[in-house]
Amino acid sequence: MAEERRGSWFGFGFCGFGQALGSGRGRQVHSPEPLQTPGEGEGADVCRVSASWSYTAFVTRGGRLELSGSAGCAAGGCRDAWASEALLVVLRAGPGRGSGTELQAWAPGSALSGEPLWAHTVGPEAEGEDAPGGEPQAGALPLLPGGRAYVSPRPPFYSPLAPELRARRLELGAEHALLLDEAGQVFSWGQGRHGQLGHGTLEAELEPRPLEALQGVPMAEVAAGGWHSVCVSETGDIYIWGWNESGQLALPSRSLAEVGKTAAGEASGLKEDGCDVRTAEDAVKASCGSRHTAVVTRTGELYTWGWGKYGQLGHKDTSSLDRPRRVEYFVDRRLQSFLFSTDQSNQKVIWPGRKKNQYIFLKGKYTHFNLFLRIYLYFKNRTCIRLSSMADTDQIHAGEF
Amino acid sequence: MAEGDREPLAGAGTLREALRALLPPTKEELTLQLGERVERSVVRLLQEAVELFCGGRGGECLQASEAILDYSWEKLNTGPWRDVHRDWRRVYAFGCLLKAVCLCEEPGDAGAVAAALRVCDMGLLMGAAILGDILTKVAAVLQAHLPSGKRPAPGPAQEQPHEKKARHDRVWIPDVRSERTVPRLRCPSLQHFRKHFLVPGRPVILEGVADQWPCMKKWSLEYIQDVAGCRTVPVEVGSRYTDEEWSQTLMTVNEFISKYIRDEPRDVGYLAQHQLFDQIPELKRDISIPDYCCLGDGDEEEITINAWFGPQGTVSPLHQDPQQNFLVQVTGRKYIRLYSPQESEALYPHDTHLLHNTSQVDVENPDLEKFPKFAEAPFLSCILSPGEILFIPVKYWHYVRALDLSFSVSFWWS
Repeated sequence: MAEERRGSWFGFGFCGFGQALGSGRGRQVHSPEPLQTPGEGEGADVCRVSASWSYTAFVTRGGRLELSGSAGCAAGGCRDAWASEALLVVLRAGPGRGSGTELQAWAPGSALSGEPLWAHTVGPEAEGEDAPGGEPQAGALPLLPGGRAYVSPRPPFYSPLAPELRARRLELGAEHALLLDEAGQVFSWGQGRHGQLGHGTLEAELEPRPLEALQGVPMAEVAAGGWHSVCVSETGDIYIWGWNESGQLALPSRSLAEVGKTAAGEASGLKEDGCDVRTAEDAVKASCGSRHTAVVTRTGELYTWGWGKYGQLGHKDTSSLDRPRRVEYFVDRRLQSFLFSTDQSNQKVIWPGRKKNQYIFLKGKYTHFNLFLRIYLYFKNRTCIRLSSMADTDQIHAGEF
Repeated sequence: MAEGDREPLAGAGTLREALRALLPPTKEELTLQLGERVERSVVRLLQEAVELFCGGRGGECLQASEAILDYSWEKLNTGPWRDVHRDWRRVYAFGCLLKAVCLCEEPGDAGAVAAALRVCDMGLLMGAAILGDILTKVAAVLQAHLPSGKRPAPGPAQEQPHEKKARHDRVWIPDVRSERTVPRLRCPSLQHFRKHFLVPGRPVILEGVADQWPCMKKWSLEYIQDVAGCRTVPVEVGSRYTDEEWSQTLMTVNEFISKYIRDEPRDVGYLAQHQLFDQIPELKRDISIPDYCCLGDGDEEEITINAWFGPQGTVSPLHQDPQQNFLVQVTGRKYIRLYSPQESEALYPHDTHLLHNTSQVDVENPDLEKFPKFAEAPFLSCILSPGEILFIPVKYWHYVRALDLSFSVSFWWS
């Protein structure tokens, strides 16, 4: 039954740095456990969670930022936070309306004391993005409010976006970026060696390039894993492409086949046609770990697949999967309606290195573009899932491992 | 062999001691000096892993090592390989070191030693040298402690020629007499070689230079298996690297030989372009560096030595490399065709960034409708036999097909 309270957060996966994940015992949590949010305890009004590999950032509706894990601190006046290993980026509200918002980048261990590594004032036009109730719209980072620029953990830290892009959402992978515009068109750029850009080649793209194969299908969501990409259409279909080394595309993965874990028939490399697995309901949210995927359906069910070594799939074991599987924990408790914040991780057998300028090999093992009307989910090493009776704002972030 | 798998390893105590003796005695020395690229959280985890190791908590150290390996692996896979920061490769190697040693801490079964050796090999393949190239030493110790069941006994001596006979009628051996052949010289002087071939960029076959190298007599399948059989190496699977189904995988040398060399293999497997001699220094003693390499600019350490080991029929599509190359043939024969860089236009290189140094043309079966200019492009060819060295000048296009079970060693220098 739907409850009227705001909702609880649950987490599972890697927690080797003592991040507030479930019981906090041991280095891994294999099945969802209620999140111990630091400071105010359970029921703290957390509206945004950004998970990096070794620490997690929580932002409450009251603007309070809490860090848990390898970095720990608390600070006020934060509208949004984005956690990565190299950098913690926060959006801090000015003292009053009209005084502007400041984007700050901190070293995660700095506890937000002293001076930020850099700071950038976000223009007042961004203030207009607030919801009618005056509540700041959390959860757009790494895209800045106003959609004119984005942050990344690697130089250049602050990158402007062409205004004609009308960016609505932006997600960063290990070496690529995905952008969703107001019209539902998906763009991608960055490295393409694993097919993660979806343009049908392995070439890199320097500037945002629209995905021609998806034109005409308005998308509602995008998510980026380390080396793969997902988007959800307005009608609830999921499209996915990129590296499949751990089954994160929900396609038969050769490396999983080698250890006898693939469920489907013969493992193959390039595959243009769809795969037979589907989930019963439409998808509404997707989120990616570096090497796994998660999707939530309209009826509030959570499906996960891909890399599972740290229990990040939430199926009470450490197997990787190349087919979507429902996380039964939530079904058993009849909890509905999820939001996500997930984190990254990856795996493959292939050896990465030809050095210097020797002839560069062409990988035949990946699936470089697949159109799927299926649900594919990726989780990174850790997944925090919020359960709520109301599916309010969309918050899907790709953190780091 | 089956019974050897489950019994506790006799002499496990000596293995532990041998490994401990290789490791630095103090915590401080068992620490990597890392730059800013490696995040604090990783440094912290490395320290923790070392603490756990020195505190005798092997199981927890293993867990920490796994996390170190998984995290650094992601860094190794981010961006082009040449841009991967060396520190990440060192972190990866360190994770491999701890994992390998922890796997051998318990007097466990023989499988643990083989697993530890595999981990060492991963560290050697993808990592960078740490602590005085410790992984090479650890690998050698592990190899020596594998139970005798794991090291395959030398096969019957007739196996190699027998196999050759069975396949002989199916090999197409080009009639090189009808083609322009690469000139041959016997032990030219350095000056002669430089003046007539290195400077003008002309290919030549050098005879009498490598024919007395120990490898020429020693390297049989049995010997290779004995020295390197249990070591993990990268193998290319697929008829050529431009194919869609082509892939790379990792396996031991024994697995490679049994799957792709003996027993009528289904696919073509090729142990190609692998710096085997860095991984297994014992093999390096069987080869030398051709004296002519001193005519180059670089140091001896900068010379890249690659092994090329595969069955009859392996093909390297027509391509060019950015360095000078001495290709030494040790076992078997190779048909090689060479095109001058001046003919590049007639060779139709791919226009993608990844394959810009590779021709689109299938040399021995060209599509002349699609690639008309290719028919007129002049070339040199040869059949390179054991003991001979082919000099391939920088950027010279070359196509190689193995006519027999073949082992070649290439030296890339500048």
